[in-house]
Order: sequence, then C-alpha cells, then structure tokens
Amino acid sequence: MMMLITGTIPDKNLPLTVGEVAADGDYLTVDKQRFACAQGTGAMISAALTVTRYLKLDAPRIVIAGDIGDGDGSRAIYDFLIHSIGKLSPSVLALHYWLPDMAQTRRLCEAVDKCAKQPVMIADAASMYSAKAAGLASRFDVFTPDATEMAFLADPGATHPAYIARHLFNADVTQTPELAAEAYRLKDAAKLLLSKGAVDYIVREGEIIETINEPHVPVLEAIGGTGDTITGLVSALIYAGLEPHEAAAIAARANRTAGEMANATPATRVIDIINQLPLVFEQNLCQWSGVCCIEGGCDDRS
Amino acid sequence: MVFLKRDKKISGEGGGLALFADVQTALAAEKVLKKAGHIVKLVAPPPRLRKGCDLAVEINLVERTGIERLFGEKDVYYMEIVPLGEGVGELLDIVKVADFGDWTMVKAGNMKLTFEKATGVIVNTSGGGCPDIPYLHAQMVGKKIGEAPQPKDIGFTLCATMLHRALEESLQIWQEDR
Repeated sequence: MMMLITGTIPDKNLPLTVGEVAADGDYLTVDKQRFACAQGTGAMISAALTVTRYLKLDAPRIVIAGDIGDGDGSRAIYDFLIHSIGKLSPSVLALHYWLPDMAQTRRLCEAVDKCAKQPVMIADAASMYSAKAAGLASRFDVFTPDATEMAFLADPGATHPAYIARHLFNADVTQTPELAAEAYRLKDAAKLLLSKGAVDYIVREGEIIETINEPHVPVLEAIGGTGDTITGLVSALIYAGLEPHEAAAIAARANRTAGEMANATPATRVIDIINQLPLVFEQNLCQWSGVCCIEGGCDDRS
Repeated sequence: MVFLKRDKKISGEGGGLALFADVQTALAAEKVLKKAGHIVKLVAPPPRLRKGCDLAVEINLVERTGIERLFGEKDVYYMEIVPLGEGVGELLDIVKVADFGDWTMVKAGNMKLTFEKATGVIVNTSGGGCPDIPYLHAQMVGKKIGEAPQPKDIGFTLCATMLHRALEESLQIWQEDR
C-alpha cells in the first residue's frame, strides 16, 4: 500500500526527485531536497503528510520536479511516471500541478491501465485540466474543482478554464448542481467531484450526495493553496481507508474548520491553515469519520 | 476530399494553432519553438481557421503566454493564436470583484488576486493549476500592485494570462480609489 503524489515545485533548479516526504518546519524534504509548503503541490503534499502523521501511516511518496512554467519539470514527471508507474504500483495516485499535456496524460493513463492493481486516481489543478481536455475525466476517481473549474468541466469545447463560455463563468454557486449534471452528461467528470466554494458540493456519478457550508469562512477563497490543501486531505484520507465521498466530506470540513481556527484573513498564508489541521483532527476526526481506532490502538478521545 | 485529408493531420492534442501570413514564417516559427523546447508540429489549418498561409503550427494552447513572448523576442510575426475545437470562443475577458473589508479580491477566469486597500500590497493569489502559478505567487505576494513582477513578463501559461488580467484590473481599481 502506497500513496504517490506528483506535481511541480516552483524552483527551476530542483531536479526530478522521488522519495518519501518528511516535514521540516514550514518546509518539506525528500531525498536531500527541500521545498516550501506554499501554494501548489507543496501545500497539497503538506496536508496529506499531516493526515498520515496523525494516523500513523507511512508518509506519502512523492515525484516532484522544478518548473516555473516552461514545462521542463513537467515533462520529466510525465516521462518518469509513464515508465515507472507499473513498477511503483501505488494504491492511491494523486496528480497535481504540471503543464497540461493531453498526449502525455493519455500515455500515463495507458500505463496505469497496465498496472496489476488499479490505483485510486485523483486529479486537481492542471492535471485535472489535461484529463478533461483529453477526454479522460471519467477514467479518474476524484476531481476537486473550484467554481470556475466546475464551469470548465461543464463546457464541452474548453481545453482550459481561460476559454470557458462567458455564461458559464457567470454561473453562481447555486448553479453547481446544473454544471455538475452537464459535466457528467458530457463524460467530463470524475466518478466523484468535490466542488469547492462557498458551498462545497460532493457529487457522485451525477448525484449530489452532500453539501457542506459550515463553518462559513469566505476568505479561504482568497488564500492561495487552500484548494490544494483539500486535495491533499482527500487523497490521504482515501489512502487511510475511507470511501472517496467520506474523505471528500471530511476534507471540506477540516479545511473550513482549520481556516476558522487560524482566524484567517485574505492575507493568511496557507501554512498557517495547515498547521491547524492536527488540532482539527484531534477534536473532530473521530466524530466526522466514525472511525476512532487507528493502527497501534483506539483513540481514547472517542 | 482535399480538405478532409488536411483536417486529418490536425490531432488537436495541443489544443491550439499559431497562424501566419506565409509559409516561410510558419517554418521559422516551428524552428524557434522547437529550439526553445516546445513540442509543436506543422499542420494544415482547417478552412474555418485559415487566416493567411496554408501552414500553421500546432501548439500546446496552455503555453500561449510564453509562446507569444518568444515570438516577440525572436521577431516571428504571427497573425493569431487560436484554440482548436468546435464552439471554442475567445479568452475570458470579464472579471469579478469581491470586497473583503480591508482587502479587495479580483477574479479573472480561474485566477484570483487579493490586495490590501490601504497599501496596494498584494497579499495573496489563488486558483489556477499550471506550474508558473506557484512561482508567480512567490514573486508577487508582498509587493505593491504597480511594482510587482507582471505575469505577462515572467509567466508562460493561460493561467498566467488570467492572473495578468486580474493584476491589471486590480491596478485600475487601486488607482481609482486613491
């Protein structure tokens, strides 16, 4: 059993690096490389690591490479995954920031298809863009779009959220159910969607199965990395054994509660939200998940 | 039949076409892009997209910002960069503004930029998913709107294009409020 997280890091000098991640204050380390827990893949990995540490599970293995937008690191990651995913054979594969490339995403899915055991496939950020644009969305188990990305999934012509139709961009959060229905009709949605926004919608195969709007912390939308945090939480909670819809609901609640505990303002850094997560879990995870026993003993807080 | 044959050459995997006035420029563009590491190929544009010559360069549309900047640096004169696919329109050109008390958030497409009203300092950027976005976040946050590095200058992708629009709108709001 292994969770594999992959994505780019905004450091041009960071080579392709593979290994088990560890925390080092506000930074993360892997194979002697150090990178910040900031917006993007860093925040996603940090949130996932927080879950695995709390639940005493093996830390995520990660595949990262430096990329500031020119695509070099992204291409290194694609190549590595396409050639190595069969050997790595993770139980959960979470894809995140990279330069979206439809052809490479298709090759990766073909390589995954050849794995002896199919991993739970999770995509957010540009890996979700390339999966949708390549017509591979339904191949994935979980997408975690925000409101604009939800409109992107519902727009059959768009290969990137910058090209969605104006009327879809103007859709408000109450129209998420219609957008989700359209995305499923077009086969441009993963099996489960966690649509992040003022109201978080959990949609499974086109059906809204849960909405979450408490605690209400609207400033989270402005804080870079809070969506990444949710994706990391979902991935790690699925790795821990929860069903995807349960993991999605807990991730949404945990992110909101952490924002509230941090007294978040639009100027808050995402690391200050993530640092609240252990306390959020301590106070709520047993109640939210209904599972109060972890390996090594039962949680006496239950 | 000729058109059908030409259309088959377009895989659409890159999602976009760069259009040129003549074949020589298209060939030069392909060379410049390949040398810079972009994965591109020469294709015949479909009739509905034909603007000049009978040759276009298929590009990864997401890399539009970086490609336009590269063409400018290398004096490659292109007519237009267009998305492939039925029903695909123009880049989103509308923005939304949210008031968070001491802060204003401007949203353009999938990108959001938030600045402090009193100082004009960018306090956060969020949204997006391309690899230049965390880099731009690191470069822009903590700097004043008018003094921060501009996504159009150091970004590469469509997410950067949207963030640049949010920056331009933020600057306008900030200047109007002074």
